Amino acid sequence: MTRPEWFVALGLLVFALGSVRLLFVRDTVTRLVALNIAGAGVFLVLIALAARTDPPDPVLHALVLTGIVIAVSVTGLGLVLIRRSDDGADESRDGDAP
Amino acid sequence: MTAAVVLDALLAAGVLVTAVVALWHRERAASVTVFLGFGVLLTAIWARLGAPDVALAEAALAAGVTGALMTTVVAGRTRSTAPASRSSRAVDVAEGAVAVGVGVALTAVTVGAMRSAAPVLTGDVATEALPDSVVAHPVTAVLLDFRTYDTMLEIVVLAVAALAAVSTLRDAAPALSVPVDRRPVLTGAVAALTPVLVVLAAWLLVAGSDRPGGAFQSGAVVTGIVLLTVLTGTLRLPSARTTRLLLAVGSTVFLVVALATALTTGWLTLENPWGGTAVVALEAVLAVSIGVCLAVLALAGSTRA
Repeated sequence: MTRPEWFVALGLLVFALGSVRLLFVRDTVTRLVALNIAGAGVFLVLIALAARTDPPDPVLHALVLTGIVIAVSVTGLGLVLIRRSDDGADESRDGDAP
Repeated sequence: MTAAVVLDALLAAGVLVTAVVALWHRERAASVTVFLGFGVLLTAIWARLGAPDVALAEAALAAGVTGALMTTVVAGRTRSTAPASRSSRAVDVAEGAVAVGVGVALTAVTVGAMRSAAPVLTGDVATEALPDSVVAHPVTAVLLDFRTYDTMLEIVVLAVAALAAVSTLRDAAPALSVPVDRRPVLTGAVAALTPVLVVLAAWLLVAGSDRPGGAFQSGAVVTGIVLLTVLTGTLRLPSARTTRLLLAVGSTVFLVVALATALTTGWLTLENPWGGTAVVALEAVLAVSIGVCLAVLALAGSTRA
């Protein structure tokens, strides 16, 4: 296997692991981690495909850069929502404690 | 050559092991920590695949900022991932087996497709537009010259995410409140580091014109500066209204540039000789905007509503 093929295979395996876990896990933080890992797998595929030409394809690099920023903003918003949901769950469990 | 193969194999093994541990560990904190290690290994892989821009962005944004975001939410909460019902190991193994099956099937199809088609460059780079671009570095040229529209919408997405995060807070002013840490060693270190970080952010920004670097990597450093100065009390948090206005600055400047170019050269078409200056100016706004939006996301995550 050539090096791009090797890393495409790795990327697809990481994507499959992340997305299968995303579908099955109940915990919200682990879901976000799984989403990020599945995304990283897609990025790996794109960068490995870019590395097939010399010099590497900058369009795919730019796509991945954009993807990383979007992934971070989705993760950030997701974490804020998880925090709110956890705070709500804590309050209802504590009853009318201050 | 063999050393390179061994390194690739070790990196791949490391990525797989950290991914599996991060996905199947029961504790949130451990899962998040291992995920950060996964990000560091990915950075090495990007460097191996000749993508220094992506490596910088991964190290600063995906590993750095995501790590900060996740630890603010996980910190102080040692809740295990499955408080009510613990799924059995057999279920975990079955999930893993399904994933490996899917991965192998996808790989077989994709590698077949890769071998049947010769590799070619895509888009404007393939049409040899690159020498006519307003900046020398190909990745920056794609982001801010050929595909400016994508980058504009990206900053809009980021601003919307930060606005949505701020909107989950109760409408008290200031909207964001975080515990301030004034221990002397910490404040001293932040005071000494902040100028260095500002220079680093500016250098990354300007370097993006002709070598790896640019607005995204610089924006991540700006996030760090904002978080450090806010958490040590050097920078006072603005009111809820000012925060919302700050979040919209990046998208607004981008829209103004888009309208100005639409009236003169054509929708987001940058031309020499002023194009290079316009790209650096846009990148500066972009970097500060990315920094502010990500910092607001992190602070909103650590504020109790």
